[in-house]
Amino acid sequence: MEMRRKALAVILLAVISVVAAEEPAYQVKNLLSAESPTHSRSTEWKPGEGIAMEVSGMEWLGADTLAVSIRKGEVWLIKNALAVDPSEFEYQLFASGLHEPLGVTLEGKDLLVSQRAEITRLQDSNEDGVADAYLTECDGWNVSGNYHAYTYGPERDGEGNLWVTLNLGMGDLANNEIGWRGWGGIIGSRGEFIPKALGMRSPCGLGANLEGDMFFSDQQGTWIPATPIYHLRPGAFYGNQESLASLENPAAPFQLSEIPKPNQTYPEAVNSSKEFMPPAVWLPYNKMGRSATDIEVIDEDGRFGPFDGQLLVGEFTNAAISRVFLEKIEGEYQGACFPFLDGFPAAVVRLAFAPDGSLYAGMTNRGWSSLGNRSYGLSRIHYSGMSPFAMKEMKALPDGFELVFTKPVSLGSLSKGSATMISYTYEYSSSYGGDEIETQKLSLRWGDLSIDGMRVKLEVDGMRGGYVHELRLDGVHSVSGEILDYPDAYYTLNRIPKP
Amino acid sequence: MRWWLGLFFLMGSGLPLTAAPHVVGYERFCADAVSVRGGAILYSELGCANCHGESPVMIARSGPNLMDLSQRVERDWVDAFLKDPASGREGSAMPSMAHALSDEDREKLLAYLSSLDTNPKYPTARHANAEGGSALFHEKGCVACHAPTADFKAPHEAQDSDFPLAVSLPDLAAKTHFKALAAFLTSPSDFRSDGRMPHLPLESQEAVDLAAHLLDFQSSNPRDDAKPLAKWPKVATGQIEAGRAIAKNLNCAACHVLPDLESKAVIEIKNTKGGCLSGDLSISRPSYQLREDQLKSLRVFLGADSKVLNEDPHLTLAAMNCYACHERDGVGGPMVETNPFFVGDESLGDSGRLPPPLTGIGRKLKSEWMKGVLSGDTGKHVRPYLKTMMPGYPGHAEVLTTWLVKLDKEDGLDDWPAEVGDLEAGRKLLGTHGGVNCIICHNWGEKESLGISALDISSLNERLHPEWFRQYMLNPASYRPGTLMPALWPGGRSTIPDVLDGDAEKQMAAIWQFIADGEGVPDGFPDFRPGQFELIPDKRPMIQRTFLEGSGTKSILVGFPGGINLAFDGLSGQPALVWLGRFFDAYDTWFVRKIEFQKPAGEEAFAFGKIETDIRFRGYRVDEGGNPVFLLEHGGKNYEECYTVVGGMLHRKVTWESGDEPPSAHPENVSTERVSANNAVKFLYSWK
Repeated sequence: MEMRRKALAVILLAVISVVAAEEPAYQVKNLLSAESPTHSRSTEWKPGEGIAMEVSGMEWLGADTLAVSIRKGEVWLIKNALAVDPSEFEYQLFASGLHEPLGVTLEGKDLLVSQRAEITRLQDSNEDGVADAYLTECDGWNVSGNYHAYTYGPERDGEGNLWVTLNLGMGDLANNEIGWRGWGGIIGSRGEFIPKALGMRSPCGLGANLEGDMFFSDQQGTWIPATPIYHLRPGAFYGNQESLASLENPAAPFQLSEIPKPNQTYPEAVNSSKEFMPPAVWLPYNKMGRSATDIEVIDEDGRFGPFDGQLLVGEFTNAAISRVFLEKIEGEYQGACFPFLDGFPAAVVRLAFAPDGSLYAGMTNRGWSSLGNRSYGLSRIHYSGMSPFAMKEMKALPDGFELVFTKPVSLGSLSKGSATMISYTYEYSSSYGGDEIETQKLSLRWGDLSIDGMRVKLEVDGMRGGYVHELRLDGVHSVSGEILDYPDAYYTLNRIPKP
Repeated sequence: MRWWLGLFFLMGSGLPLTAAPHVVGYERFCADAVSVRGGAILYSELGCANCHGESPVMIARSGPNLMDLSQRVERDWVDAFLKDPASGREGSAMPSMAHALSDEDREKLLAYLSSLDTNPKYPTARHANAEGGSALFHEKGCVACHAPTADFKAPHEAQDSDFPLAVSLPDLAAKTHFKALAAFLTSPSDFRSDGRMPHLPLESQEAVDLAAHLLDFQSSNPRDDAKPLAKWPKVATGQIEAGRAIAKNLNCAACHVLPDLESKAVIEIKNTKGGCLSGDLSISRPSYQLREDQLKSLRVFLGADSKVLNEDPHLTLAAMNCYACHERDGVGGPMVETNPFFVGDESLGDSGRLPPPLTGIGRKLKSEWMKGVLSGDTGKHVRPYLKTMMPGYPGHAEVLTTWLVKLDKEDGLDDWPAEVGDLEAGRKLLGTHGGVNCIICHNWGEKESLGISALDISSLNERLHPEWFRQYMLNPASYRPGTLMPALWPGGRSTIPDVLDGDAEKQMAAIWQFIADGEGVPDGFPDFRPGQFELIPDKRPMIQRTFLEGSGTKSILVGFPGGINLAFDGLSGQPALVWLGRFFDAYDTWFVRKIEFQKPAGEEAFAFGKIETDIRFRGYRVDEGGNPVFLLEHGGKNYEECYTVVGGMLHRKVTWESGDEPPSAHPENVSTERVSANNAVKFLYSWK
């Protein structure tokens, strides 16, 4: 019987696999990109001419205008930005002379932009399309003159708080000893920066989920072994000890009950300090790219495919976008990340959903190399209406994981060798990045496939709390013979659900 | 001596004071369990091989050169050291000969040593910077082997660490004197030829500064702190001859180079229970105060077939302490406690501060290059961002190179590429006009990269075997996990379909060819002219924020048509600088990642006085003419300062709602005229 069923599956597969690949689920259209990575510094350029669209912030204003801040210090309004033909875009310089703005947010009729030393409210009081007031909205952090001391945000959470995150300085002139370097906080009612959480290194991406909870991405580097996505909330410590100095400031909102000791495993370090908050999701180095950027929730009622409620995360080095599924276990977020889209013309730095449900990706390669070989660009991603065959969700269970697919899975393809899993963690240390350690191969068993074929349980022996559980599915296909868009998923199992 | 220096010598090593020899390669890798390897390292590093033959380590351990001792080392120190080496330097590998030397014999031996004098002249230094020396000591790599000075705080991580594996230093002030120590640091290999204290590429002034630090000088004039060496007494010829006879009998020449003595013939080891390890100190045997584990490992080694060990790279790398800085095949590399002292360019990640791995080094580097590196040729140092210096091993470079090449031997390392690469494609691929963008991160000769500053790749064909280069390109992380170098041909596939038909092999060959050809520059370095990004306010004022010297990190620069320019300091809420002529070159502010403080483009600058008061900057409006109106708050009241240029004068109009006039200061050497009105005042600044 067993034999016969297998044989049937093989025949079925052989028949079904001839089904031609349909049009891709997501179509990427490059709206504009540089001729080269140095395009913005062309010899032909003169002040006042051309746009070096090194995107550092994006916000949609109304139905068809996209506001874009760029690294050199300008904010542009792109009108008619939903036009199919980008030559129909109209560009309007809205603000200039800014100091490295890295985010832009609409606030009433005004735009808030970050600059190195402040958050600035750009007002267009005579409504001629050009800002005529650059008002200090929030300040109060240390700016030493070090290049690495960036300012990110502001980004609004569900309660209306505007969050700002502050990069650590690094190298000459760096001073992380004072002024909230490595902290995140909100803008106070009198324009003051209210510090809320610490332990950040290079928190360059912010974004709220559907519940309105804020998340941020950080960068592999000192104290941070791989790329993390964290739930941002008051009272949390995210591990980077270079930010501890500001705890001595009388305005520090809290103290750490315990400073975690380095050179222990990450879960051990997390357990040693009650404020230490682990990433909701680790994006393992190289496997999921190298440098996460913006976070954008999918809230499009299916217009962007079957992943509503999930987070999209920009990826710099690989010029890609990743996808993150989150769930709450014992009141805390954790979940899995999946590769999603790649092959963009430059490093994906900012993401914004347009009013029509398409996604705009803003790009710049400034300072680093990426697999995208243009210095900047703007791309638009449309959902074709044809769902990809993907692992939609990976949910933790007391004794394994439940996998939710976007389409019914072929039972026959869930063979013994089709799923493999390893688990690992990292060392908590001041080193720059860290290897996967304590890697174990886990033994797996497929459980029952749901009647609709969309859900299956994977029983796992020896799950370890606090560890990343890396799943790989090979040969799993849908009932119509499609193979998975990506075979890998990475679940950060901070907590194992109780039975 | 400052109190902490004493503590450092006592506690720095973290070990209880013990007479047992401290062999770092053994303590780090072999002290946990008895092993042949551990014994082999001890056999080499305790100098056993010097009497008994067959060193398992590529470069035999020797004792220091004893020439000119009477010009370099205090006689009392030598005397005490001969009685008990561990009292001179904790963990010294010098065996005790006390049992074989009466007080009279020691006098004779010292007389003999004092006769080995060539009357050297050590250079005099007029200036010594002990603080600079401390920076060198803690940054340049000394701390890889020696404990840091006790009150020095490591970068990154302010943990209080012990340094149990550190090679201790003697009490240098008691042992030697300033000039001799500086001479030693200038060229350690003249005094210690076995490379255990390797040759450091120090400038002579750096050696002086380092000596001043090690001797804890308080003054920058060495004459204030340096104390001369006590003169060794004159001795009679008979004493010298008697001392020479003792040295000959004790076989000192086995380990130390002595001009008129030769080592005795190799003494065969008959059994591993007797002899030097037996504890039976008959007259000429050296006495090693070995711990039980050391003794056991030595015995196991002596009982084993030592030839098996000759191919073991671990022994030499551990014995020479290459592992202090480098790892090979996952062994060695900086330790938890020394790691934070390796500093460099953090923007390159750990590769920007840690020395490269030695895994497969014989496959990686061409042997001529490797020989140059090992001989101490600083022209072969390609990572200027690493603060830690690669030391040299003069006299041993050839042997070490041959050995490393043989270890990693692989055929065909220079056979790739089979076909000559396409030069023009190589230029394109290295560059940024549709290439893989190497020059975004890597310097190219004199040209700085466009982003982070990773090592110069313009001549890597001189260093690398091409086949190694090819394999590295395909998967950089397999050589150095965690490297920032991306796999540019992920999965062996090209991301550039329009060059050489997207053929990864041909593309890599083209890159190699272009580098090897040595002509030309990759596409994409911005060919900008100086001043190309100069902001020229010819019609309306221009405003740009930046970091500006003399004005600070929140500077709002305003250039007015007509050549008058202003920097307003947004932190103090006051004007900071006014200058005449050209306004500002925005290139760095707009495009350079590692921006530094900028300067005005014009020459003549005048600083405003600064009032120490609490003014809150609330931003600025731009009026219809493009002039800035700064919005300020002082004492709970709002006011404005509007700047315009009228008739070659800078006008500063201050208006407030009610009450007192807000505070203001004015530029020096500038003519200031004041015009008052109701709740407003205008200052007119003019130049002759």
